Amino acid sequence: METEEFVLVRDLLRSFAARFRVGSADDVKPSAGAAAQEALGELGLGELRRSTPPAATVQECALLAEEHGSLPLPTSLLGTVLLAPELLRLLGTPAAPGTTPTIALARDLRFPAAGSSPLVAWDSEGADEALCVLPDGTVTVSGLGPAAPGVDLLRAIRTAEPAGRVVGRLDPAGHRHWQAYTLIVVTSELVGAARSFVAQSVEYARERAQYGRPIGSFQAVQHLLADATVLVEACASATRYAAWCLDHESPQRALAAARVAKAEVNRSAVEAVYAGTQVFGGIAQTWEHVAHLYLRKVRVGATVLATTADLLTVLAEPEAAP
Amino acid sequence: MSGTPLDFGDPADLNRLRTEFRAWLAVHPLPERHVDEPVPVFLLRWHRLLHSGGWVGLDVPERYGGRGLTALHQVSVSDELGACRAPGVPRIGYLAHALLEFASEDQRLRMLPRMLAGDEVWCQGFSEPGAGSDLAGMSTFAERRGDHYVVRGQKLWTSYAQYSDLCLLLARTDREGTPHRSITAFALPLDRAGVTVRPLRAANGDDEFCELFLDDVRLEESERVGSEGDGWPLAMTTVSYERNALDTGHLSKYGLLVERLRSAVRERAGTLPDGLRSEVGQCYVDYEVLVAHARRRTAERLGGQVAGPESSIDKLLMTRAEQRLYETALKVFPEQLAEDGGEIFGEYLYSRAASVYGGTSQIQRNIIAKRVLHLPSSGRP
Repeated sequence: METEEFVLVRDLLRSFAARFRVGSADDVKPSAGAAAQEALGELGLGELRRSTPPAATVQECALLAEEHGSLPLPTSLLGTVLLAPELLRLLGTPAAPGTTPTIALARDLRFPAAGSSPLVAWDSEGADEALCVLPDGTVTVSGLGPAAPGVDLLRAIRTAEPAGRVVGRLDPAGHRHWQAYTLIVVTSELVGAARSFVAQSVEYARERAQYGRPIGSFQAVQHLLADATVLVEACASATRYAAWCLDHESPQRALAAARVAKAEVNRSAVEAVYAGTQVFGGIAQTWEHVAHLYLRKVRVGATVLATTADLLTVLAEPEAAP
Repeated sequence: MSGTPLDFGDPADLNRLRTEFRAWLAVHPLPERHVDEPVPVFLLRWHRLLHSGGWVGLDVPERYGGRGLTALHQVSVSDELGACRAPGVPRIGYLAHALLEFASEDQRLRMLPRMLAGDEVWCQGFSEPGAGSDLAGMSTFAERRGDHYVVRGQKLWTSYAQYSDLCLLLARTDREGTPHRSITAFALPLDRAGVTVRPLRAANGDDEFCELFLDDVRLEESERVGSEGDGWPLAMTTVSYERNALDTGHLSKYGLLVERLRSAVRERAGTLPDGLRSEVGQCYVDYEVLVAHARRRTAERLGGQVAGPESSIDKLLMTRAEQRLYETALKVFPEQLAEDGGEIFGEYLYSRAASVYGGTSQIQRNIIAKRVLHLPSSGRP
């Protein structure tokens, strides 16, 4: 896309987000989620990664995922719009007519393990089947079971049949591409969430007065927010660079960059949201306040696909040649 | 902060430059350091050799002795040097930026080519015993007497002043005005009457730091850089260019050590405690994040953005990476603590200064709070 075109698409998603954002945890209702998902479908973003070459770069998709994470939205942009279509594109298979796939993850939300371990359809709002990539690159499709409520209140999750029908197989390069792409898309949404929540807490610090002064004038609060800003910018740089790598470099290099980005975000997005929560003070501890929606998203997000321990173990040694 | 796609890549002509530079390096290897040759003297020889090949000041316009290319070109040269374990290009980028932005055309034409060539070595006279990060507390005073100034005061932490010819000096020119308007910059020749340079031995044993005593030193009007009162914005520009890991050329140094640690993890598989293994992984993450961040800044700068207060974010990230890296290196190579004088231990000591020089970490946080986040002022001036 040309930059102008991308800005239009991004602004489209931005106005969608402003309209369908959840004001508090009480607004998270199945009916609201379904309506929002339908409106998201009408934006036609699912086409962005369906064609070859794709209409949008990975970097553009990453920025859209970042935008989606900015406000509390109950929609499955990641699973059904950005991830599953990319997987089908890599396989060279179109989606079965009339179906909307999302992706399947292990029960602990990490990349699926070998064998027929229990699976969940992750980010399943509006989805009716789930694609699973096994460690050897085999891709299966599973039917969906009942909703499996998760800690991230904005993320719809359903159980999925453990052993699905085989629909294809990714070659090693394709598999690396897939891992890098999922890490980048998931990480981007967390970056958007952390960035937006810190910005909201900065805004609050300007207004909220204690001891007759705005709390944002206290150096203790300023340093907390400055540190959170550093962490958010580190997350954004690492994630956007990884996305750029997947557009321009080998999948191997992009996967290394994507792992680095996920490791940074696992640690720093959570820290940044802690800082923002601290600035909001007691009010952030209430059910009505959006703070816990962000905290739930980044805290669960830090375990999705790959935990810090998973990543650091791999990153501690130089990679073997492909 | 850009919310649109950025090009993190090397433009095509950079590859050509890299190839050209590698070919040049193959015939111009790093010279041997003579026995007892002080490091700065050795580095100056290297600087001059690089300059003779056209590898210094690539982003400085041609009429001032540079090559009129971009910061990215200069960075690629640093990268290549790091990759072959040679010392980086001389750290004059921030001084060159200060002159480019504030000096008169006559001064730029006179000073920049000599600075780039290594014919005149510069140091930075900003800090004072009573004013480190708090430049506003500066007390060195330049009194105007007709067509010249008389300077009196003391500077501290002027790195390698004993090997330098000129000092970019900040002094107050108005006792009454606010610090932001009453500081002025000068190009002070260090052999001027009344200047005394005294090296200070640093904790790691090096004699990088110096004290500078200025005892009724006469400075001509033509030696003033910029107008009276331009010292504050000049200092801000200079330090902004000093806080990015790319501009300081530290990236390749970190990269080499990170790879050394990762290789050690591989070689000692099984004998390294899990915690230490993760810590090395974390050093790699910090380093790679810094690389990605520096690339993003470069892309933003190529897009026309100048270095500003957000460089305080860069400095804090660089500090985080450097301090964890050397802390971890001492755990992976504990013999560095047993045998005094190890190279890594020296660098470790220097890494503790990362949160002090160029403005302390606390000052960087203040800058982010006030100038990036625009939080309300605390009421203090």
